Amino acid sequence: MNSPDADALLVDRVKQGDVKAFEMLVVKYQRRIERLIGRMVRDVDLVPDIAQETFIRAYRALPQFRGESAFYTWLYRIAVNTAKKTLMELKRDPLVMESARAGRDEEDDNPRVENEPSDAASPDAVLASKQIAAAVNFAVEALSEELRQAITLREIEGLSYEEIAELMNCPIGTVRSRIFRAREAIAARLRPLLGTREGERW
Amino acid sequence: MTLGDLDDKAKAALSALADGEADVAGSAAACAAWARDDRLRADWHAWHLIGDVLRSDDLAADPRGDRRLCEAIRIRLQSEAVVLAPADVDSAEATPRAATADGSWRVGSRSGRGRWAAGGAVAAGLILVAGTFALLRPDDLAAPALLASGDAAPARVASRDAVPAPLSPTAEPSTTPAMAGARSPGAETATPPALVADGKWIRDSRLDRYLEAHKQFAGTSALGVPSAFLRSATLDTAAR
Repeated sequence: MNSPDADALLVDRVKQGDVKAFEMLVVKYQRRIERLIGRMVRDVDLVPDIAQETFIRAYRALPQFRGESAFYTWLYRIAVNTAKKTLMELKRDPLVMESARAGRDEEDDNPRVENEPSDAASPDAVLASKQIAAAVNFAVEALSEELRQAITLREIEGLSYEEIAELMNCPIGTVRSRIFRAREAIAARLRPLLGTREGERW
Repeated sequence: MTLGDLDDKAKAALSALADGEADVAGSAAACAAWARDDRLRADWHAWHLIGDVLRSDDLAADPRGDRRLCEAIRIRLQSEAVVLAPADVDSAEATPRAATADGSWRVGSRSGRGRWAAGGAVAAGLILVAGTFALLRPDDLAAPALLASGDAAPARVASRDAVPAPLSPTAEPSTTPAMAGARSPGAETATPPALVADGKWIRDSRLDRYLEAHKQFAGTSALGVPSAFLRSATLDTAAR
């Protein structure tokens, strides 16, 4: 399933010098990479930095990426190695550990045990995440059966358009259109929660 | 065709690209549209967020955090060298490319202009190399090599090509080396100091004159009495 690699076109464009195509891959995978790193380092303050380093390393190494695995599998490995390396450096450098602890203690009177799962995400961020999840699930439920089935087979089952067309007994062009319309319908309910302030951009 | 239709067309192409179902031309157009249209960028983020949430509620992230990370990476990417990877043979056949003079790749260039640009770059390189050789004398190029070879022994320095030490014919035989050294400034006024290039070593001609005078009077003291010490010193120098 999900083969050939859905990212191959974007990866090829990055290899031809299109930096924007790499930004598209960042937007696509940032949440999965951050979640993976968050499970490894457990300190939420470190997660964005390690995620950033992961993507920069991936960008530098992309000319060596031969497509023998899916792009995300390759990116996943880079994220794991980057997180491990960061943890090793923190253990090797007690000053960094102390300063990190000191910084935390100033903000929080209840110092956490090292490697204890932390929940430093702000209440606002937690609320925003819950609202987004609820909005998406509600919007999917509100879709017509055809649209819901198309988007589910694509996003959850990871089927290609051809496979979905076969399952739904319709032309590929119809599958393409249904998936697009499903996305638009869900995004329409989501946009108020994703509001971009003046000067902000993706 | 209305503006809304165009928008929908661009969005539909972007949606197909999100699933890896666009063709090469469609992906190029969708990427270009994404780069210049804020709304398409917002859609791209929203669609992938939707996909993530459908797979797992854990991935429902605060969009402000997403935006911060993207912005930080975008800033760092600006200082990164642009990635350029050699194309696979298959893909190169599918989308022929031509190397431009600045080393970048131009995709899909079938025109003769691309080929001329590549040929011109090679010719310009050859002219540059030839010009460099023409401007640099062979001696200039040979000297460092010889110096590096360790073959420039002091005994071989004053060769026949070197400027001869122009000792004045009026020099008194009894003059000591010190006196010769004191007199040489007068000779320098007639023959300005010059570096001697003998093909193996470069040095001041005044030093040659001094050494020549030193050899001539090495065997005698100021009073004309032979000095065994100075003689042996001279022999040592010659042996080197």
